[in-house]
Parts: sequence; C-alpha cells; structure tokens
Amino acid sequence: MPRIKIDHNKCTGCRHCEIACSINHSGVANPRRARIRVFQEGNVFFPVIAGPFVDAACTSKLDIKIGDQVYDMCLLCRASCPQKPFFIEAETGFPLKCDFCGIPPNPSCVRWCNSGALELIDD
Amino acid sequence: MYGCTGRCLRVNLSAGKHSIEDINPELLRKFLGGRGLGVKVYSDEVDPKTDPLGPENKLIFVSGPLVGTGAITGASCNVVTKSALSGTIACAKTRGHFGAELKFAGFDMIIVEGKAESPVILSILDDKISLQPALESWGRTTSETEAVFKKNLADKWAARDTYLISIGPAGEKLVPLANIVNDSFLSVGGAGIGAVMGSKNLKAIAIKGSHSLAIADSARFVRVVTNLINKLNSAPLTSHSMSAWGSAFFIDLCYQKGMLPHKNFQGAAFTELTELKDIGTKALSNAFAMRSSGCFACPIACLKKTEVNNPFFKGKGMAPTYWAIGALGLNCGVSDLSTIGMANMICAEMGLDPIAAGGTVATAMELVEKGIADRDTLKLELRFGQGEDLLHALTLMATKKGHAKRIGKGGQALAGEHGTSKSFMGVKGLPMAPFDPRSIQGMGLHFATCNFGPHHLYAYTFIEEVLGVHEKSDPLSTDGKPELVKRYQDLAAVLDSLGLCNWPLMGVKFNNIVPMINSCLGTDYKADDLMKIGERIWNLEKLFNMKVGFDHTHDTLPGRFLNEPITDGPAKGQISKLDEMLPGYYELRGWNEKGEPRGDTLQALGLKR
Ligand code: SF4
Ligand code: SF4
Repeated sequence: MPRIKIDHNKCTGCRHCEIACSINHSGVANPRRARIRVFQEGNVFFPVIAGPFVDAACTSKLDIKIGDQVYDMCLLCRASCPQKPFFIEAETGFPLKCDFCGIPPNPSCVRWCNSGALELIDD
Repeated sequence: MYGCTGRCLRVNLSAGKHSIEDINPELLRKFLGGRGLGVKVYSDEVDPKTDPLGPENKLIFVSGPLVGTGAITGASCNVVTKSALSGTIACAKTRGHFGAELKFAGFDMIIVEGKAESPVILSILDDKISLQPALESWGRTTSETEAVFKKNLADKWAARDTYLISIGPAGEKLVPLANIVNDSFLSVGGAGIGAVMGSKNLKAIAIKGSHSLAIADSARFVRVVTNLINKLNSAPLTSHSMSAWGSAFFIDLCYQKGMLPHKNFQGAAFTELTELKDIGTKALSNAFAMRSSGCFACPIACLKKTEVNNPFFKGKGMAPTYWAIGALGLNCGVSDLSTIGMANMICAEMGLDPIAAGGTVATAMELVEKGIADRDTLKLELRFGQGEDLLHALTLMATKKGHAKRIGKGGQALAGEHGTSKSFMGVKGLPMAPFDPRSIQGMGLHFATCNFGPHHLYAYTFIEEVLGVHEKSDPLSTDGKPELVKRYQDLAAVLDSLGLCNWPLMGVKFNNIVPMINSCLGTDYKADDLMKIGERIWNLEKLFNMKVGFDHTHDTLPGRFLNEPITDGPAKGQISKLDEMLPGYYELRGWNEKGEPRGDTLQALGLKR
C-alpha cells in the first residue's frame, strides 16, 4: 500500500507542501486550509499530516526523546483536538483530514516537496 | 484581485491609531507591487529632503503579489524608507516567512508613520491589530525579542504560527549601520533602515493570519510551478551547490578569480590566504553542522542554520554566507570561519548590517594600520586579522557602549573625521559588498550606479559574469557590460516587486518564470512588458535620489578601484574601467551625460519629474 514517508532530517520548513495541499483542495493559497502543517522546534522541522478529528483532548501528556532532544508528543500527533486546534477550516469550522489526494494516491504535497522530506513509497 | 489582498494597513504611531485602505489597482498595474509599489507610495508621500530619523519619515513593509501564493521563492517583503546611513531611498528584502504571513494576515502593505511616545510592538494577530508596550523586549536582541513576545501569547499553538520582524539594540540606539531582522535570524539586507524603525520607537511587528490568496488559474499554476520545481531540481547550481552551502559556495569561485577583497580592498584574498582550504566550502562543512532552512515556498533552501556554543557566543543562527565571509571576515583580514560565524550571528542578534558593519570595521582597521588613527583615538583595539577585535567592535558598536559610538556612524563618517575619505571603500555612504570591482567589471558598474549603494542583490550580474549560467560574460572585459547591468538592474526590480528571490535565475531563465506570474495573477505579461516595469521602477528610484541631491558625481567608485591595480592573485594588474562603461550605460538608460533621465525617457515610462 502506498504511504508517505516523512524525513525530518531533510525538511527545510519551506511550507511549499502546505500551499500545494491548500491549492489542490480549495483552489486558494492558505496554509490554514492545508491538511499538512509544518512545525518547527529548534532548528528541526516536523511535517504533520492531518489525521482524525477528535472533540476531546488526550488525558495523558507524553514526551518523546529523539537523539538528545525531548519533544512534546502533541507536536507530532496527527489529531486535531481541543488542545491543538489545527486542521480546522477557519471560516467554516469544518475539520480537515488528509485524503491522500484521491485514489490512486497522487499527493500534491509530495510533488512540491523538493527537499526529499516527503516521499511516496509503496510497500 | 489575484495574488494580492488589495489592502494596506496604515499605522500612525504618534496618534496610536490605524486605518485600513484599499490599494489602487492602477498602481499595481504600473508598479506590480512589492518594491515598485512601496517606492511609488513612499516617494508620493514623503518629502525627499526629510530627516530619515524624524517622525515625518515613513517606513513601508510591502509584500509582492506572488508572495504566499506558492509561486517558487515567493517569500519576500520589501522594506522601503530613506536610509539613515546614505540618505538615498532604501529598499531591503526580507527572507523567511514574514512576508508570506503578512499576506495571510490580509495585507499587502503596512505603512508606519510618526513616532510612538514609548517603545511599542505592532501586533497583527488574526485581524486583531494593536500596539503593545515593548518594555520587556526593549534592549534585547532580536531572538530574545521573538522569544519574549511568543512566551507572552496565551495560545502556544498560535505562537508557532506567528512571525516577527524586529530591530536589535543597534536600531534602538539609532546606529546608522543598523538593519532589521526577521524570523529572529535573517538580516534584512541594506543598512540604514534599522535606525529608522528605532527612531519610531517601533521594536517589532508580529504577524499571523488565516486569509486566503486567490489564484487566477490554479490548475495551470500548479502545472507551471511543478515544472519549475523539477527544473530547479535538475540544475546543478540550485539543486546541489546552493542547497548544500548557500551563497558560501561562491567563495571558491571568487577566490579562483581573485574577486575576494582582503584588508579593506587593499589586496585580493590570495597571496596571504593561498590556502583555500581554510575558507572554502570544505572548511565550512567541517566548521559547522549545518541544517538547510528554506524561505517560504522555496525549493532551493539556501539558508544554513547552525548552532554555536562557546565562551564568546551561544545561540542559533546562520552559518556564514558569502557576504559574511567576505565583508566580516576577509575584508577585515580574518579568515577563521568560526569567528566569522560568530560575527555574523552577533550582527543578526544586535540588528547590525553585516556588510556595512564589516566595511566600517575594515576602514577603521586600515586607519590604524596606516597610523592615521590608533587605539587611543578610536578607544578600541582594531587590528587587521584579529578576530577578537572584530567581535568586540561589533558588540560595542551596536550598544553604543564605550566609544564605539564614533565608528557606529559608518566608514564614511569615520574616514572623513580623519581627513582620509579615500580609505572608505563604499559608494553613496554605504560600504561595498565583498566583490572587488576591479575583477568583475559589470558588478563594478552596478556598484557605481545602484540607487541603493553598492549592493550586489540589486543586479546579480554575477550569474553571467562568474557562473555563466545563461550566457558567458568575461568578468574582466567591459564588452556589453552596460547592457548586462541595465538588464539585471531592471530584472531585480521586477523580481523584488513580485516578491521573488534572485536565486531561481541560477537554474531557470526569466522567460520560464513568466507563465507562473501570469497564471497566478491572471495577467498576460510578456517578459519585455515586465522588464519595462522594472525600468520604470529603477527610474522612479533614481528621481527620488536626484531630489535628495544625488547626481552623476555620486555614480562613482572609490579611487582605489579606479587607479590602483590589484597587486596579487589571478586578477593582478586590473583596475575598474568604470569611465569606459558609464557613458554607454547612461545612454542605454536614456539619461543625459549628467545621469539624469531625459524628458522623452520619462514620458515613455509614464513618469514625471
Ligand atoms: S496527501 Fe494530499 S491531502 Fe494529504 S496532506 Fe498531502 S496534499 Fe494534503
Ligand atoms: S515541502 Fe518538503 S521541505 Fe518544504 S516544508 Fe514541506 S515537507 Fe518540508
């Protein structure tokens, strides 16, 4: 099944993927309407692709250690929840979720990601 | 309206009020937006004789129509004002994400007027516009300012989407060498604007928004952009060299061609530095762990971020770029990359322009070396090649501590005070970018004639003269140089006005970019139409400078370049043949022999004197 492989070491934080997604789904450029968002922590960027919408936040808080750095798990989590109000269409309040850009997968974000951080693989 | 938001935010700091205006679409048609629009509005509204640091001066932040749309490298916001260092019109370009966020906040342009009573931060967060006291961040460095502002935001997730442009201590203290810094580590090229922001008591602008930008033909736009990304990805300079080292990869090339300055342009960085291994790309990769960082929507990602942690300096910032290595390093005789890296980060933290600050320190060092000034008169130790002298001077200059106040006024003022103006290597009061005009003739002509002082980014002739990307042009010859310089000056005006970067030109031709512009904006420009707009903008800037009092006598280079041949390196024996090129350049521009646009030229461009 095709999947998107995300390589944090390659991501440059250019957010071209956000705009690709936004244009593909709504015809306009607006990162807040994208189903992929890129977060920065220190000098490292984390592309996060929208997962489920939930109306309650987790009861647990998690930290994750990668190398020497400790990250808040919420940063990497794909859910849109009251704790992390992303992936919600600003004007309508409608939740946004990655649809893999239709079938067969033809992810716009991958197409515009020039750094190789996003890659479509099939396994 | 496509691409643009069509709205302008006018903030009067004296009255503490703001208003939202519509932008006249006619102006966008004539001047595109970005730099062109900024310069047009600025020159209409501000008296050219105004004191740059007075409350009547204005400060304009303006993003081009392609910024934020996903057009490749559409990221830059232009800052237009009158330079506190040179008195010419100033237009500096931000990189990173601030420019795009300005558009998402719903504005193409912010006009800042007047002067706040006490330091403030202009905050534009999700349509809530307010002036907040800057007590906590005043006196702090640019990255601290950003951290403090974000810490005080109630919503930490919103803080992640907020971008800042700010001044450091140098701008607050009205040091003329100050510039503005955005995204907390990117110096906005062009000295003399930080002090203007400081004089308005405006510490920073914070911005976040969620407006959408309309695209005329989104299906075609996506196709064209995808195509351009693939082209850039297959061109060696953009896919490899720039991505790996950023502009620092020019060092090796310029070294081989004898273009790198050494010790205030007294020599070429060659004989005393025969070891390229100390300053070249290999050394850079060894000295710093670099992580690529891209401006908004940039497939090239030339920004190299790194971390420094040693007794002198601790923090994150840019690894040395070409300009840092040239201006802060070699031109001050310093070839130790880690010192240069620190100097560059100090500049970004303090809000000093690296090229202007480096040029000024180099001038001071020459005065000391020649025995014209010394430790006692400068109240500072400044010796060529001494890294700690450089770092010390930069910090003091920015904070006006000790007696570094005097050198903070810039190289021209300093050399003038000592009666040796010829030791100042600069044009129109601004220190030179680190290219020796004797070994790159076209760039030399551009340095002499540029409306913004000797700054390479306003005509990147380097792309032909050194890289030979589209056509080869011998850097030592004057053949065709007036034409080359005019073309690149106009082109830079177009790219700046649209909000694009110069670097895609290392991989694609301008003609390839035109369909991206048209599909995004719904226009049907030909490349020539755009070049004509670029020419109009260049002439408009020229007219402003003429009203300030600049004339053909200012279109020149320091005597050293015109009379003293380079003493060593591959370009040994060369001088700048400016006199050969200048008349042809004026002629091509349709200017008279005094460098003033002729009546018919202005008429053809739809401009008035
Ligand atoms: S695969 Fe498509 S829908 Fe999913 S994040 Fe990427 S561009 Fe958006
Ligand atoms: S386009 Fe690629 S490199 Fe750019 S932010 Fe998205 S994932 Fe990162």
